[in-house]
Amino acid sequence: MAEVSVLREVDPSARIAPDAVIGLYCVVGPNVTIGPSSVLVRRVFVTGNTTIGSGNVFGEGCVLGAPPQDLKYAGGATLLIIGHRNQFGREVTVHVGTELGGCLTRIGDDNVLMDGCHVAHDCYVDDRTHLGRNVLLAGHIHVQTGAVIGDLAGVQHFATIGRYARVGPRTPVRRDVPPYSNFYSVGYDWSTPPAVRGVHEAGIEAAKLRPDEQRELRQALRELFDDESALQTKIEQLVNLGVEGEVAALCEFCQRSLQGLYGRHRETFRGKVPPETEQFLSPDQLADIRRPTA
Amino acid sequence: MPDISPLAVVKPGAELAADVCVGPFSYIGPEVRIGAGCIIENNVTITGRTTLGDKNHVFPLTAIGASGGNGLGDGECVLGTANTIREHVTIYAGLERPTSIGTDNLVMIHTEIGDGAVIGDHGIFDNCSHIGSSADVGDYVRTSGFAAICPGVTVGAYTFVTGYASVDRDAPPYAIVQGFPIRVRGVNSRNLKRCGFGEDDISRLKQAFRELFNDAENYVDQAALKRLLAEPNVNQCVRRLLESLHPQAQPAGDSHG
Repeated sequence: MAEVSVLREVDPSARIAPDAVIGLYCVVGPNVTIGPSSVLVRRVFVTGNTTIGSGNVFGEGCVLGAPPQDLKYAGGATLLIIGHRNQFGREVTVHVGTELGGCLTRIGDDNVLMDGCHVAHDCYVDDRTHLGRNVLLAGHIHVQTGAVIGDLAGVQHFATIGRYARVGPRTPVRRDVPPYSNFYSVGYDWSTPPAVRGVHEAGIEAAKLRPDEQRELRQALRELFDDESALQTKIEQLVNLGVEGEVAALCEFCQRSLQGLYGRHRETFRGKVPPETEQFLSPDQLADIRRPTA
Repeated sequence: MPDISPLAVVKPGAELAADVCVGPFSYIGPEVRIGAGCIIENNVTITGRTTLGDKNHVFPLTAIGASGGNGLGDGECVLGTANTIREHVTIYAGLERPTSIGTDNLVMIHTEIGDGAVIGDHGIFDNCSHIGSSADVGDYVRTSGFAAICPGVTVGAYTFVTGYASVDRDAPPYAIVQGFPIRVRGVNSRNLKRCGFGEDDISRLKQAFRELFNDAENYVDQAALKRLLAEPNVNQCVRRLLESLHPQAQPAGDSHG
């Protein structure tokens, strides 16, 4: 039997695993699924069409599955899917998707979202990421596996944070951050925008790359971003050399960012369903969200 | 009858209109009045001498009319109609003058509105915006994430405050302001177009902005301001801009342009 406090309001149609913990003053809505051993500490509000996997911990005051702050959202039955073993700090807010953005906000496995983080509509946060305090993710953002985002960083909509990249604290991110790069701003003057300033060594370590791969990757990042002029030509040069593995992935990432608008690849998905949605949703779910609402 | 959750606390003395919804674990203080069609979700705290107009939607874990912990007692807070106050927002009650929010504002997550702040209509305040005590914020103002409006400053109507900006002195209307100390980046033409301003107004504003905010060191070019104030037949929008920069002086000519 699930351990459920008396002072809580759980909708009878919510599907809650027997050993999930629903703490004091929590409110759980009707279309919510909460997996085994997940803990809602206190004052956690879960609403919307929200599916939470197993072993997650949600700190005080988290709000999950609330309607997006997007003015275009008209109240469609959109989804929020949270994987397994994630740790949420206090007052973390995660919104459901919007119909124009693919109907899905997804958080993968083993992520840490510290106090005050906000994950907006249609974001995809992959696995093993670390979001510092009060990190704001605007809509349609993809945070790839292993990325680390510092405290008070704000990410503009449609940006992608590459695999194992680092975003420094208090950094406004307006464009894609390449994988394994260290991206931060220097000083508080708006005239020096944040940029790639070297390699995220801890990320390379965490990704457990082979020594030769590490060497090639460091060299490629240095070549591409020590001086960002003529990035396109430098990418083409690298590709013509016949790079493979992580360096090829890095080149592809940078190429796609250049093709997008304002250095953001995902801008090309504006008003469309992004390809990830089909990867994460079953055909039944896809049919469900695409059914026109009466 | 208002739809009040049995797990909510509504103190005797609170006046709730007939169709107000109050979610579980919310607390409505004794001197609170809530207008028709308001939705107060769960875990909301509304205290102080606070009045909410009609059709406001207050999301979970928000505090309205908070006392600010200065021990000076409860203040006053007035919300107009059709505002959306998202999660984790704190609106402090004003002690010297009521904290006031107009109509149709969207106050996003984690925003803080200081005591005595006055906010116009149709504003959008992005996540983690901080509006200092006694600040005056005009209509159609939009802020981006982490924007801070310092205590006591005025932000003119239609102005956009970019992310991480710290508005440390009065910001003109129609502008995009950025950084700390703030600099005027240009005319907020996208917002102006959205709000139905004509091409003529926007191009005249752009011309005036080029003359007034040309210097990187000084905030406003005083010579250009003097010159523009002396010009006859100033465009109505430009006139409003000049008045905001120089409240004592009136432009020479009448409006129209």
